[in-house]
Amino acid sequence: MDNNRASINMHPVLERSSKLERGSTVKRWISSQWMQQAFFIGPAILFYSIVIAIPFFFGIYYSMTSWDGVSGNAVWVGLNNFSTIFLKDPEFGQSFWFTTRFTLTAVILNNVIGFALAYLLSLPLKSRSAIRTIFFLPNVLGGLVLGFIWQFILVQGFPGIGKLTNLSFFNLPWLGTEATAYWALIIVSVWQGAGYLMVIYIAGLANVPKDLIEASVIDGAGKWQILKNIIIPLIMPTVTVCLFISISWTFKMFDLNYSLTSGGPYGSTESVAMNIYNEAFGNNRYGLGTAKALIFFVAVTFITLIQVKLTKSREVEM
Amino acid sequence: MKRSFIISCVLVLMCYLLAACGANSNSGANTGADAAGNGESNAQKEVTIKLFQQKVEIAEQLKVVKAEYEKTHPGVKIEIESVLSSQYGTKLKAKLAANEMPDIFNNGGYSDMDVWADHLEDLTDQPWVSDAVDSAKAPMMKDGKLYGFPLSLEGSGLVYNKEMFAKAGITELPKTLSELEEASTKLKAQGFTPFVNDYASVWDLGITIFDSFMAKVPDTDKFIADLNSGAATFAGNDVFKGLPKYLDIAMKYGNANPLTTDYNTSMTMFATGQGAMIPAGNWIQPLIDKINPNIQAGLMPMPVSDDADFNKNAVFTSPTIWVVNKNSPVKEQAKEFLNWLVTSDIGKQNVAKEFKLVPAFKSIKADPADVGSIGDDLTKFSEEGNSLPMQASKMPEGLYTEIAQSMQKYVAGKSTPDQMLAEFQASWNKLKK
Repeated sequence: MDNNRASINMHPVLERSSKLERGSTVKRWISSQWMQQAFFIGPAILFYSIVIAIPFFFGIYYSMTSWDGVSGNAVWVGLNNFSTIFLKDPEFGQSFWFTTRFTLTAVILNNVIGFALAYLLSLPLKSRSAIRTIFFLPNVLGGLVLGFIWQFILVQGFPGIGKLTNLSFFNLPWLGTEATAYWALIIVSVWQGAGYLMVIYIAGLANVPKDLIEASVIDGAGKWQILKNIIIPLIMPTVTVCLFISISWTFKMFDLNYSLTSGGPYGSTESVAMNIYNEAFGNNRYGLGTAKALIFFVAVTFITLIQVKLTKSREVEM
Repeated sequence: MKRSFIISCVLVLMCYLLAACGANSNSGANTGADAAGNGESNAQKEVTIKLFQQKVEIAEQLKVVKAEYEKTHPGVKIEIESVLSSQYGTKLKAKLAANEMPDIFNNGGYSDMDVWADHLEDLTDQPWVSDAVDSAKAPMMKDGKLYGFPLSLEGSGLVYNKEMFAKAGITELPKTLSELEEASTKLKAQGFTPFVNDYASVWDLGITIFDSFMAKVPDTDKFIADLNSGAATFAGNDVFKGLPKYLDIAMKYGNANPLTTDYNTSMTMFATGQGAMIPAGNWIQPLIDKINPNIQAGLMPMPVSDDADFNKNAVFTSPTIWVVNKNSPVKEQAKEFLNWLVTSDIGKQNVAKEFKLVPAFKSIKADPADVGSIGDDLTKFSEEGNSLPMQASKMPEGLYTEIAQSMQKYVAGKSTPDQMLAEFQASWNKLKK
């Protein structure tokens, strides 16, 4: 690797010498800067375009057709799909509103709990790594499995506990009403996501210089002051990362939604991703589904850009 | 010099990697060709028929059939995948997108047949065609050609527990909504829960219950055409006025938390005697038998109105249809398998005895002991001419989910009967072609 880098640095000299030595245009072409870049980045670009870019442009095309996803011919309808979505599909707006509410609550809770866990588990505790593992564990399980497990817990387990303890919390009709289904989704997604964010926050906390904290202790700062005035400003880059991750996670949530509530009761917990899925595959309106996905793509990009810009501006350079 | 050495090293490595990727597919093709080559020398091909079906109730029984068939047909392997009806449609589309289309799969007939028309093999010339019951073939007929294999007849309505009905002293099956409520009161007086409502399942709300009403609309085809043209509405239909009333009775006399009770839970509840009636059909027989082999279940038409005339014609039948993929390389073997299933003695025996489904073939006689008490009731209705055809697959695709959501909203007390019917209308207008 070192040799390689050195050789690239020496490039102009080498090129000249190779010209003198061999003079062959083919060889010069092979060793040219352009060829090297194409060689190293080319495969990545190739796979990126096959897996992401080309399907994306196909998607743009399909969003302007009335294709049903099965038949051989897709009829061009121009921007009709978009006008249908904005004018005649209140459910899409509702699912957008649900997703926004859900994202707000879940992102805040995820980050607060993730940070609190990280802060507590950065303290010198005996069973620290064991506890960290336990909190991280839910993240290892896939969202689908998790959703089905929690569905069982909420629908079968909670009433059982409710019968024994008579606590009203467990006797609620879990997943049966709008509110319980909403909070069930929040509980499970926080349970799943907080552990992951905790790991990132722990890494961020480990990078806070000890001497700064020591100096502040000598100056007489309390625990809360240290947290507020030293630790949090210094881990703002980590906060940026965590917010970015959790926003894009929860905004695009599908598997948990699918397995835990499948949008129910009566479509009140239908996320945008799920609405798109149902439109394309349930209603056989693939063109309309892709158009929705495109709108969703623009929205997600916009929101994450704003978020990154906002938190970046609060980061402190050391 | 050094640099070109490194570049060539990496080049060689990359070539190797790329070649390895290519080689994989090559070797795959080779083994395939080898197998085919060997097969030809044995005058037999090693083939796999992929069967993708939506009757989870017969998933276990199909394995028996598969073993039986593979035993008598060396060189043919059958791969069975069963998924819940509610997930079937999307999974099939996923398979299509992934270019992994099964060789035999389910189709609902009518509008569903049109969607999949590009993939359906013409089965008109198959030996079993003349033996199949006409009403079971109807959904899959197009321009005089038959595109589907009817595996069974299905009937749905209210499945009820005969013992509980006897204990409650109900001798005459309820024929109107008022009689249904009366029967419910009697059942409740005996300490039974009259209804098991699995309203978490959009399938049972949007297909089983909704179709019971749809099928009883006089001249359904005209009603559907009028709905499409805007000449008719749900709110203006006499039969659909009974739907909120039915839901009211079912909720009043039903289990707690119907909106979180799903299909599997409801089956357990019904089979273990935690409820006397459940909107379902004869397809639940193998499931409830597994939980409680002694259960005595029967089938009755779902009362839709207080006018007994509307309820005279009973349970509707909907065949389970298998279709053969036109583009499959093993479609001949797939057709052969279907033929074997309904013409060979051993196949017939399996269809009638193991599947516990009411056969859609004249030559296969279902023994009441085999098709179970629900299937037996269905056969009686069917023989008396008191059966109506299914309607679900004539309706716009995806409608049943939205209909079910509107019904969920109603039973949760979030909308009025008028609002529910208006929502039906809005969904229909949105999804119609």
